[in-house]
Amino acid sequence: METKYQFAEKFRDQVLRCSSCGFCRAVCPVFGITKRPAFNARGKMLVLKEVMEGTVPLNDELIETLFQCTTCGACAKNCPSGVNVPEIIKSVRTDMVRVGSCHPAFVGMNKVLQTSPNIYGEEEPPDFERERNRKALYVFFVGCVGSYREEEATQETLALLDRLQVDYTLIDEACCSGILEDLGYAIQKNHVQTNLERIVATGCKNVITGCPYCFRTFNEKPEYAGLKEKGIDVVHISQFLTGFDFGVKTDKKVTYHDPCDLGRHAGIYEEPRKTIQKIAPNFAELPNNRANALCCGAGGGVRGGYPANSIAMARRRLEEVEAVGAEVLLTECNSCVHNLSNATLRAQKFKVYTTTQFLNRLLKEG
Amino acid sequence: MDETIKDAIKAIVGRENFTDSLIDRIAFAKDASEFKHQPDAAVWPLTKEHVAAILRLANGTGFPVIARGAGTSLAGLAVPERGGLVMDMGRMNKILEINIEDRLAVVQPGVVYADLDRKLSPQGFFFPPDPASGNVCTLGGNVATNAGGIKGAKYGTTKDYVLALEVVLADGGVLRTGSRCMKTSSGYDMTKLFVGSEGTLGVITEITLKINPKPPLLSTAMAMFDDLEDAGRAISQIMHSGILPCALEIVDQQTLKAINQNTSLNLPEVEAILVAETDGYTREETEYQIDKVVAIFQRNRASMVRRADNRQEAEALWTARKTAYGVMARINNNLFVEDLAVPMSKVPEMLRAISDLAKKYDLIIPTVGHAGDGNLHPVISFDGTQTDQVHRVGEASAELFEKVIQLGGTLTGEHGIGLAKARFMGMEHDPKSMEYMRGIKRLFDPNNILNPGKMALEAA
Repeated sequence: METKYQFAEKFRDQVLRCSSCGFCRAVCPVFGITKRPAFNARGKMLVLKEVMEGTVPLNDELIETLFQCTTCGACAKNCPSGVNVPEIIKSVRTDMVRVGSCHPAFVGMNKVLQTSPNIYGEEEPPDFERERNRKALYVFFVGCVGSYREEEATQETLALLDRLQVDYTLIDEACCSGILEDLGYAIQKNHVQTNLERIVATGCKNVITGCPYCFRTFNEKPEYAGLKEKGIDVVHISQFLTGFDFGVKTDKKVTYHDPCDLGRHAGIYEEPRKTIQKIAPNFAELPNNRANALCCGAGGGVRGGYPANSIAMARRRLEEVEAVGAEVLLTECNSCVHNLSNATLRAQKFKVYTTTQFLNRLLKEG
Repeated sequence: MDETIKDAIKAIVGRENFTDSLIDRIAFAKDASEFKHQPDAAVWPLTKEHVAAILRLANGTGFPVIARGAGTSLAGLAVPERGGLVMDMGRMNKILEINIEDRLAVVQPGVVYADLDRKLSPQGFFFPPDPASGNVCTLGGNVATNAGGIKGAKYGTTKDYVLALEVVLADGGVLRTGSRCMKTSSGYDMTKLFVGSEGTLGVITEITLKINPKPPLLSTAMAMFDDLEDAGRAISQIMHSGILPCALEIVDQQTLKAINQNTSLNLPEVEAILVAETDGYTREETEYQIDKVVAIFQRNRASMVRRADNRQEAEALWTARKTAYGVMARINNNLFVEDLAVPMSKVPEMLRAISDLAKKYDLIIPTVGHAGDGNLHPVISFDGTQTDQVHRVGEASAELFEKVIQLGGTLTGEHGIGLAKARFMGMEHDPKSMEYMRGIKRLFDPNNILNPGKMALEAA
């Protein structure tokens, strides 16, 4: 029996437990747009069973399926056998990297993060016209997408925090680098160190993240245990905002997209809705919401590795927004905003915002 | 399969609808059964012309073609046992027409059951045979398998709803069967010949289905029985009482034990639980029916009877039945979801026999089933890496079906024969019957290119 791979040592029982029922076909976003069974969780588990049996080696032929997974977790949520597919995929990607079979886009992303503190290799960090690294009660951690791709959304989020008179500071961030473990690489210890030192130096009580993925990385990765040890809790901005009243409302029909990292992976479904319902009485749920939400297509490195399919997945989500007739689509993740905005067709008249961005605009107008 | 054939197929469907990649061959090697064999290649036809051109090519050059829906078969119907070309119908997935006036829907074979349901539901209609895999299974697969579901006792199975078919034959010719009428006695029933034919006679490219108005209201009751025979009597009495529940499900003691060992549900480990549901257009109607069912439960010494006052309570009554599959799927690496049907009065005897077999072969075999039509699903859970266990499972299955036939039952109520039960065909069908089935196969597919190796159609 072949057990030289790490994924097989860690997840052998789970891979075998997949009974090939095929129920993941109903929810896998990659399968949804391609109708190619090799891409859904059953297809991936069948490939891994062959690898464990030693009939197929891990090599470049498997890249297209093993690296084409947004790790959205919808399959795992719906699996009668309880197979945790995203964790298995992350694990086998480390084996793939080890044998030298990795998607070129993922190789590139890892390379960038070896030298650059952000995933885009951008040299000029935006300062958002605010003093950084000062003493404050809260650190607001923007994340790479919010810093370099969705700057406008971040500007509005920061303006909102100002309006609410939150005592926060920005820091000179490094990428949380959790994404590297999804791609098959190791978390970047020096980036972790940078973030830990700079967060602790502010004397803050809490870190507020704008990005659900950074939120998960800080809370779940042992490398960031230093935060807990210093008594620093990490919350997502949607959790932080539940205690506020805003005194503004919109007449527009609003809907909400659950980001996979915040929803299925962190179980945060109700906090964003609490805030949205305060400001948008005309709220409609998307047909697939909460644990059944469709992935925006950006996660797990798929936006970088398979951009056309990534956009196609976002389009599928946007069809639901159209179906409920919403004028505004809110979400809690800059990465989702980025992908969903890029996928919006000219004929689709709704706007895509983060909740904080939309809130600030309302307050500005109001 | 040599490269010139592959090139010819690519020329028919386009490069993007053909694959011979390793990952696809692995994915198409299996369905939801325990069988596995890789095809040489796979194709996603988009039109009946694609299907016809490919079948002409296959018939001329002699490679097998295995039509495939969602690959949820529990009996190996979709496994390409001899290699060849898997024809994945998943990209022919358009609902072509929903015609409420004529009470029918016309669909391509790759339409997912639940997608049709989502379109019919707002109009107050449904397509009743609802397999447990309804969220993923395709209608083409349902027709090819003659799939059933929990509503079978009242609403029948797929065969009762297929009005007409468009089928591409082995030589590439196109055949249309049936009509858009609710009834016909015109000629041989060619439509039903293809229903349940498991892709051995042709490839279905269009399906015309009868659809039903959907009664909006349900009443639900559940009963526990300390004695299996009491439950059995209750089932028979309900089914000849004049009341037709839209569901009458049974959960046996082994299932309850398995659920309790693996969850914190703490269900009473009685010999059987029955869950009944009645449907209708007014509350009075559904309650009148469920009253009758409850009276029969009580008359047959049910140790506990519960009725649901609302949907939430109804869900609670369904817990044991609906938890069963998830539990069974987690307790071991492999599972055979078996499928058999016996005359309704024989359900208790069959359940006793299953329980005895489990003891004899040292296996865990919980059983759930659609009691209202005598269709039972013993679920054999085992570890496929243990050859000894695999062997015992094989022996237990053979003995199981001997008993089924002895009781006047049938090898399959709704999953089909495929590979899993090909070896038992002669037990149920006499030699004359087998001879005519094989004759029909030869008539439609003289070169044996369509899903070869299934349903024991070759053995002399």
